[in-house]
Amino acid sequence: MRDTPSESLNVVGTSPSTIEATEKVTGRTVYLPDFDVPGMTHAKVLRSPLPHARLVSIDASRANALDGVICVLTREELLADPRVEAMYGYVFRDSPLVALDRVRYQGDIVAVVVAEDLQAAEEALELIDVEYEELPYVLDAEQAMEPGAPLVHDEMLPIAPELHPVDGTNICHRTTLETGDMEKGFAEADSIFEDIYEAPPVQHCALELHAVIADVRDDDMTVWTNCQAPFPLKTELERIFKRPARVIVSYVGGGFGSKSRDRIEAVVAAASNLARRPVRLVLTQEETFLGGYIRPAFKCWLKTGVKRDGTIVARQYRFITDVGGYAITGARSANNTVKVATGPYRIPNVSVECLAVYTNKPPSAPYRGLPTTQHTMAYESQLDRIARELGISPVEIRMRNLLVEGDVHVTGDLIRSSHAKECLAQTVDALGERPPPPAPGVLRGRGFSSTIKYTLTPPRSSVESKAEVALGADGVYEVRVATVNIGQGSDTTMAQIAAEALGATLANVRVVHSDTGLVPSDTSTTASRSTFHMGNAVLDAATKLRAEIIDVSSALLEEEKEALVLDGSGARVADAPERRISLAELVGAQGGPLSMFGECEVGGTYVDTEGRSYPISSTFWTFASAGADVEVSTETGEVRLTKVSSAVNVGKAINPVSVHRQIEGGLGMELGPTLFERLVWDDTGQLLTSSLLDYPLPTMSTMPEYATALVEPHFKGGPYGAKGMGEVGSVVLPAAVLNAVYDATGVLFHSVPLDPETVLRALVAVAGEAPGKPQ
Amino acid sequence: MKVELTVNGEQHSGDVEPWRTLLSVLREDLGLTGTKSYCHSGACGACTVLLDGEPASACSLLAPQVRGRAVTTIEGLTPAGKGLTPQDAPLHPIQQAYIDHWGLQCGYCTPGMVLLTKALLDANPQPTDEEIVRHMSGNICRCTGYAGILESVRAAAAAMAGAETP
Repeated sequence: MRDTPSESLNVVGTSPSTIEATEKVTGRTVYLPDFDVPGMTHAKVLRSPLPHARLVSIDASRANALDGVICVLTREELLADPRVEAMYGYVFRDSPLVALDRVRYQGDIVAVVVAEDLQAAEEALELIDVEYEELPYVLDAEQAMEPGAPLVHDEMLPIAPELHPVDGTNICHRTTLETGDMEKGFAEADSIFEDIYEAPPVQHCALELHAVIADVRDDDMTVWTNCQAPFPLKTELERIFKRPARVIVSYVGGGFGSKSRDRIEAVVAAASNLARRPVRLVLTQEETFLGGYIRPAFKCWLKTGVKRDGTIVARQYRFITDVGGYAITGARSANNTVKVATGPYRIPNVSVECLAVYTNKPPSAPYRGLPTTQHTMAYESQLDRIARELGISPVEIRMRNLLVEGDVHVTGDLIRSSHAKECLAQTVDALGERPPPPAPGVLRGRGFSSTIKYTLTPPRSSVESKAEVALGADGVYEVRVATVNIGQGSDTTMAQIAAEALGATLANVRVVHSDTGLVPSDTSTTASRSTFHMGNAVLDAATKLRAEIIDVSSALLEEEKEALVLDGSGARVADAPERRISLAELVGAQGGPLSMFGECEVGGTYVDTEGRSYPISSTFWTFASAGADVEVSTETGEVRLTKVSSAVNVGKAINPVSVHRQIEGGLGMELGPTLFERLVWDDTGQLLTSSLLDYPLPTMSTMPEYATALVEPHFKGGPYGAKGMGEVGSVVLPAAVLNAVYDATGVLFHSVPLDPETVLRALVAVAGEAPGKPQ
Repeated sequence: MKVELTVNGEQHSGDVEPWRTLLSVLREDLGLTGTKSYCHSGACGACTVLLDGEPASACSLLAPQVRGRAVTTIEGLTPAGKGLTPQDAPLHPIQQAYIDHWGLQCGYCTPGMVLLTKALLDANPQPTDEEIVRHMSGNICRCTGYAGILESVRAAAAAMAGAETP
């Protein structure tokens, strides 16, 4: 990894609007649901009405006979094609493309109808005769761990070595992290605090619906999708279908983790393979709730030992994450957050246990920062309880424990860039003066939180991202990256990095993104990783291309390389500017485009100046804080955020306004799960909150005033010193709000959402009055 | 049934099944894919169009219901004019404000937000923040947290009034 000083920058550190903004405000941006391919057909999915059942029989003959229906994919057709694997999954290969022996959640995929038009496909769904034999089911992860609970899977099928299922149970993964001596730590503590925290499942509600067009032919296949990980999908499709696959991702209308791994791509491809035609499937909003991934239900037990001065000496933490009916990606997500589960603090004695558990609910996926959001909610809420009992201010108790540069994290990693205290101080400053005393019937409060977030990091050193930068015949640089432009402005970030390295301006750069036929490989657009990883790969490629252009220009201009200067239009002799060659002329003289590849290698170990070696469990750690001012109505229980502040150590903001806007977006999005969002299943396993009429989302009227701040200590190894930050705004919000409500009401809440009913009942209970009648 | 529609100032007529929504006719028959779809229950505003200048959810209207009314989609906000490509069309000040003030990220809600802003500012050229918030709360954005959108609406109002943008 290279390191570039942050001085004398021209493009990096400026804030142009995204390069695609004009296309977006005019409605010309083409998202996947907006286009057709020639000969395209339409698919609809038959979904299980039951949470757990054996598939006794499926008869699609009436559906197949309907006018306009081309074919129906059921287990029979799937198993009949020897060239197509029936099972898929990245961490566990536990998900059949369509249900084989049984269904495992309401919404599980039973069959796919392919028809000439959508109407015929919809009508045909009604004509598929399915006989189910109901099985006992389990909807709650804690109950699913009890002896005798119905088993969601008879056998565990992990394919990743870091996963440890407990055979004969629903625990598909159990992992631990231990450091120091926890028992000794608790023995040394002056006080010990124990709490349980919970959060219900929610859905990401990316407005662009999940969609796929698949065109599978005998010798190759093309899949258009809005998945955030095109290269892993390409590999998986090639394994399943045994032919070369090309995956094309256009602009994506938000994902937030729901598109971090594919869910319907392989099944639509199987339908195309059967139909021998291109097939399109666009899920409805209700289907995205039923089977487009959800943020899982979460529960944790947190025990913390502290000294009288607030020093944390021991922490024991156990959490359960509900992966749903298939552990396609959910188990790994939980696994990764073990590294940050005990917070941004210096704690000598730690024990963490993570349990990922199958239930008869939809599969889960990350939601803008994995369960780090829930971990932060837990340890930061408890810290405010500790602070109050010890008589220390919430800010001060954090300052006494936050990790600083040179500390060793619970993973054994050396903390090389924290600035966590500065983040907290700036968060406090940004929130400003306390608001004036409230009107009668309103309580005001203020709360803070701090967090540490990790990014996706390989267990061993490996190249995680590659990029190509080319100079085309029109004299424009073309940056080719697999990073998915999902709204975070990645094209602009990459163009700024390339332009800076090439002495060019944004007008000289265009970006080609996320088409596996056109760009080099990348892991995924997740975990706030693209600016660092792909940014480094782009910087590497652009730096090599710059050297190549100078080489070629030197020969053409017959000048020493050192005498040449490269700018946006061409190369020239520094002290004889009339002697120049334009970029287009350069390509012409060379007889074709110039192009260079770059890469970003991460992982392995870090060796400090004294030769000590440390693991790299996270390529970078993101430190951040948030502060919240709330108003709580004692009459209605409504919690309103009036102002939210947040400061993040971003290393270097490549595009500062974009970074501020990403933090605001994270804060604003998480406001929903913090105050009112909640997916609810009834006791029979039916989702009750499947439409926006039952599942309201934040609107402009729920928006607080935002005050965001960037802390920018140059991060060695980052492109121009940058770290990632795309998810951290959402991670820090719930804890700050819970603490503000605690400050306002004196009531400790141990779960979200803080909806009016929950809050009012608690206020009434504390006031010693009889609680209201149950509804 | 035979339906005549006026969309972006142009007359269209054709046979349309009576249950077809305005949204599906705009997107599938007329190729106007700037109007987006998400919840299909009138709750998110991604499919916002203007009906005689008033905002409406195209997913919740049947095509025959809008006969005789002027439908404006994002493509019709600034018509390119004869012989010009869509790329030649100037940006509306509202669109420029959304670009300059980061009123968008993924862009999926943006056509609906821009049209909702148009309806507000046509009816109330100098809205207060409270009026902006009340009016704009009909549409959902998942990316921005709304701060950029609020600033964009304020800036558009100022620009359309000929004042300096704040």
